[in-house]
Amino acid sequence: MSFGTLGVLALGLYLVFLVAVSEFARRARVDQTPADHFLAARHLGTFVLLLTLYATAYSGNSLLGYPGEAYRRGFSWIMATGFMLSIVVVFHALVPKLRPIAIRGRFVTPGDWIRHRFGGEPAERPLRIVIGALMVLALANFLLAQLVAMGHVAHEVTGGALPFAVGVVGLAAVILFYETRGGMRAVAWTDAAQGVLMLVGLLVLLAWLLADGGGIAATTRKIAELRPAAVTVPDTVERMNWASTIVLLGLASVLYPQAIQRVFAARSAGSLRRALALMSFMPLTTTLVVTLIGLAAIPRFEALGTIEADTVMPRLLGAWAEEGPGARAMAIVVFIGALAAIMSTADSVLLSLGSLIAVDLFGRPGGAPDTTRFGKRAAAVVMGGAALFALAPPLTLWRLIELKMELLIQCVPAFLLALHWRRLGAAGCLAGAVVGTAIAAGGTLLGVKRLGGIHMGVIGLAANLVVAVAWSAFRPSGQVSAGPARSASAR
Amino acid sequence: MGDARTRQIVRRLLLGVIGLLYVLSIPWYRRSGAEPELWLGFPDWVAVAIACYVGAAILNAVAWLLTEIPEDDAE
Repeated sequence: MSFGTLGVLALGLYLVFLVAVSEFARRARVDQTPADHFLAARHLGTFVLLLTLYATAYSGNSLLGYPGEAYRRGFSWIMATGFMLSIVVVFHALVPKLRPIAIRGRFVTPGDWIRHRFGGEPAERPLRIVIGALMVLALANFLLAQLVAMGHVAHEVTGGALPFAVGVVGLAAVILFYETRGGMRAVAWTDAAQGVLMLVGLLVLLAWLLADGGGIAATTRKIAELRPAAVTVPDTVERMNWASTIVLLGLASVLYPQAIQRVFAARSAGSLRRALALMSFMPLTTTLVVTLIGLAAIPRFEALGTIEADTVMPRLLGAWAEEGPGARAMAIVVFIGALAAIMSTADSVLLSLGSLIAVDLFGRPGGAPDTTRFGKRAAAVVMGGAALFALAPPLTLWRLIELKMELLIQCVPAFLLALHWRRLGAAGCLAGAVVGTAIAAGGTLLGVKRLGGIHMGVIGLAANLVVAVAWSAFRPSGQVSAGPARSASAR
Repeated sequence: MGDARTRQIVRRLLLGVIGLLYVLSIPWYRRSGAEPELWLGFPDWVAVAIACYVGAAILNAVAWLLTEIPEDDAE
């Protein structure tokens, strides 16, 4: 059986599995409320929570964008292992304080926190809308990156039988179908299956790379011969960029709305604690492995173009599949694992987008079944728009990630600072977010990505923090909130 | 591990060490463009970074197991 035929069959089986899971999830629902649809009635245990956090955090970006970036930049991309780990480290500043408040307030969306923390202040509503808009923009960008990655993988796994555009549109439709029917339950259960597939696939791929390339040392020597700069100690700008990327990803990723919603959706504090402890090791089993995959591609595919480098992993798998029937079958497993990872991230993003647009941007009541329906329709509209953009990807996957993070990081004061500093006010927070976003967006519009290796988004965050702290520090003490204002369910 | 206060102190210490490992993971200590030696098949500065991240992952997992998340009284 040819690689393409095997790929079409495996893809078909996988899609049937996804649809079946969504049907089981639909039957398991308790009611039609947003908490049931968007948070699985807050019943995710350690195992499913771990795998859904894993499959959500490790996406098409990790599986296609990161090997592509390792291929382009060389060994300095080892920074990716550090910044993915930094997410689980920075969660220490968010989860222990936010989780109890979220449970008491029956939060559904990140905007519920803003309402709760700054309730009663005149700038609360504009702040909630600005934070909601930043999160929706970041998520739409994230969705776009997933759709691009999905199209590449579907094209490669079917041996070219499925055109890129059909892969993007067709798989987007499948995600929309199972997410709309099964909600967070379908997303978390499919994430769990997808997480296992991805782990198995990557470990098998690593074993093949080590066996085929003569080991790590031989691969490093080949890279040093072909591209010495990929192996030598990075320069100061690259080292500053390394530090900046850890700050950018570590701070921004914990504010992924879909990650925050999983903190809300955990069955208990114990489940969450255990899931996050185990998540600490995932960068070593995933990011480090995909970085090595990208590096191993340097001797195999010299001189790929900038956008083309995002197809490094599919190309490696294609080459592997030509080595015999066993290798072909394993390459298909990895391909489906990669596709699973991408789709699992896209479905989580879509679910969060629906709830954010309905509750935070349009102010729909958080407890009403109508809100669930409105959220589903809004998600479908965004998915359609993102699919259109994905047909002609304008940037590399990594640049799409950076842009998303540079927006998301401007929400840091409203969450991390607001949790730890009672004096922070909504007006200061709003002014800071506007200034920070203007700097990050201005840099992008002017074509300035970084200054001295430091991302414009990180520079924007520094300005954002200065404005938010200065504004709040000098406000009259009578305006300082005495504590949480009111719960989300009480509004 | 002992009482809540001891756990909290140990957790903070672990988070501090993780911060130090992050600083050490970036090759500030080497000259730009220097030719590396191979350690375990990797350029030396890459091997140091990987060792730092492995250490940080272990310490972070322990720190999470020591973390108090009060909530049961809320449900």
